[in-house]
Amino acid sequence: MRLVVAVATLAMLTAAVGVRSQGSSQSFVPGRLWDGKTPDFRGIWQVRDTAYVNIEGHAAERGIAASKSIVVDPPDGKIPYKPDALVTRQEHYRVRATADPSIKCYQAGVPRATYLATPLQILQSPGNLAIVYQQNHAFRVFHPDTRPHFDNTDWWMGDTRYRWEGDTLVADVVAQTDEAWLDQAGNFHSTEVHIVERYHMTGADTLEYEAKIEDPVVYTRPWTLRTVLYRVKEAGARIIEDECLEDANGVRHHIAPTDPRNLLKSDYTRWKR
Amino acid sequence: MIRRCLRVVAVFVTATLCVLAQSALPRLPDGHPDLQGLWMKSAGGFQGLFIGSLDGTNFAAGGRGGRGGRGPVAPQYPYTPEAAAERADRLRRGYEDPEAHCHLPGVPRALDQPGGLYPVQIIQDEKSVALLHEAMHDVRIIPTDNSAHPRNYWAWDGDSRGRWDGDTLVVDVSNFNGRTWLDMAANFVDENEHVVERFSVVDRDTIQYEATITDPTVFVRPVQMRFTLKRVPAEQQILEYSCLEGERSLQHYTAEDGGKKRREQ
Repeated sequence: MRLVVAVATLAMLTAAVGVRSQGSSQSFVPGRLWDGKTPDFRGIWQVRDTAYVNIEGHAAERGIAASKSIVVDPPDGKIPYKPDALVTRQEHYRVRATADPSIKCYQAGVPRATYLATPLQILQSPGNLAIVYQQNHAFRVFHPDTRPHFDNTDWWMGDTRYRWEGDTLVADVVAQTDEAWLDQAGNFHSTEVHIVERYHMTGADTLEYEAKIEDPVVYTRPWTLRTVLYRVKEAGARIIEDECLEDANGVRHHIAPTDPRNLLKSDYTRWKR
Repeated sequence: MIRRCLRVVAVFVTATLCVLAQSALPRLPDGHPDLQGLWMKSAGGFQGLFIGSLDGTNFAAGGRGGRGGRGPVAPQYPYTPEAAAERADRLRRGYEDPEAHCHLPGVPRALDQPGGLYPVQIIQDEKSVALLHEAMHDVRIIPTDNSAHPRNYWAWDGDSRGRWDGDTLVVDVSNFNGRTWLDMAANFVDENEHVVERFSVVDRDTIQYEATITDPTVFVRPVQMRFTLKRVPAEQQILEYSCLEGERSLQHYTAEDGGKKRREQ
């Protein structure tokens, strides 16, 4: 009898969990790390849209699919620039083919690194959290917000402090350089930018990302972007070395050292001949 | 009988002491030592000793590497005659260190950065040990499942596969792109480089690091490197290293490298 009750209880619990995970996205309960407490966000994640071209949305171009704006506030999907700043953005847009810091192989900054066309990996253990971005092997170590920001410098990837609000990872980011762009279209911020990121799993393989961006120098008011990262599930998937700085065409990268293309201008030629 | 009992007791006590010593090491639930934390190479290694010695003087070979003779094993690069000539030629040409171009340092140079300058953050779980290096913001996520190296993949840092040998993390590194220098002094390896690294936890604040480098086309026998990593106080944090972003010395970018053209854009 006791066994029957136990089985029935187990079945009810299982059903309850099933209903929860099928309900609204807010109700998904992620797994836990081995401390039994910390939500487990580990894995390789990547967006599926092309908002990295222009977070305000863009038409299809040169083989790149169109994307809608990922700016969710203001509702019109436009970044609330001050008039002067909008002029700067337009100038950036005009020269974007050469002026985009990503073309120079610079680290992408926050939040741009999150919605690139390359994956990221979340590393976690109880008390430790870091995100490794494949592009230009950038990474951020997330520090608990129990200690103040290290904000007397301007970094490409900023200084991050985090806390858990239930199952949502909330990160506070300051200390970013004004040289970073938000996308390929020249959207930008100043060194005064303050970002609050929210990472929230809406299913076993979907991670919702939201960034509230505040910068009194550039914007008339705080604004928010939101996107979804999908779990990369290919067998053996890994973050691979992404050394942007190879040669003009990246020709040498991941090509066999003995490949003729590799022997064109390398010093390697001298050593091997 | 009494003697036998005493022997049993002795064995038991010894075993208990061993278990206590072992359990004193921080461990993950899977039983493996916990390598996590922020670590800094202490005095030693090869790299730090080469600062300012671009003429190729091998200070480390002179045994200046450690205190009281307990320092790192001095590097003895047993070049083949051809490789020795190549190295001399690189020094003569002033051929440039790839790391001066902000390229990734490779292995073991990733850890063998100038002592006391750049820490490494280690994050570990049951599937991997990740090394986040401040220097060159280099990242190595090492699976600890003893999986095989991939085919058709070559990289500055090669491909790392780890396994646990008792309390030692053993990492097999292969698939190098053949362009790596071991230091600033033109000591080099090619794509046949193969490294076996051993990370051994000595105590809570010390990891012993050992690397054995083989490269049959460059060295006539394996090269060994050994140094310790000391724990950095918890109130410190890794800082951002922006090699390229902060680069203002265009002389590093030669036309041959394609870099000059890019910088002029």
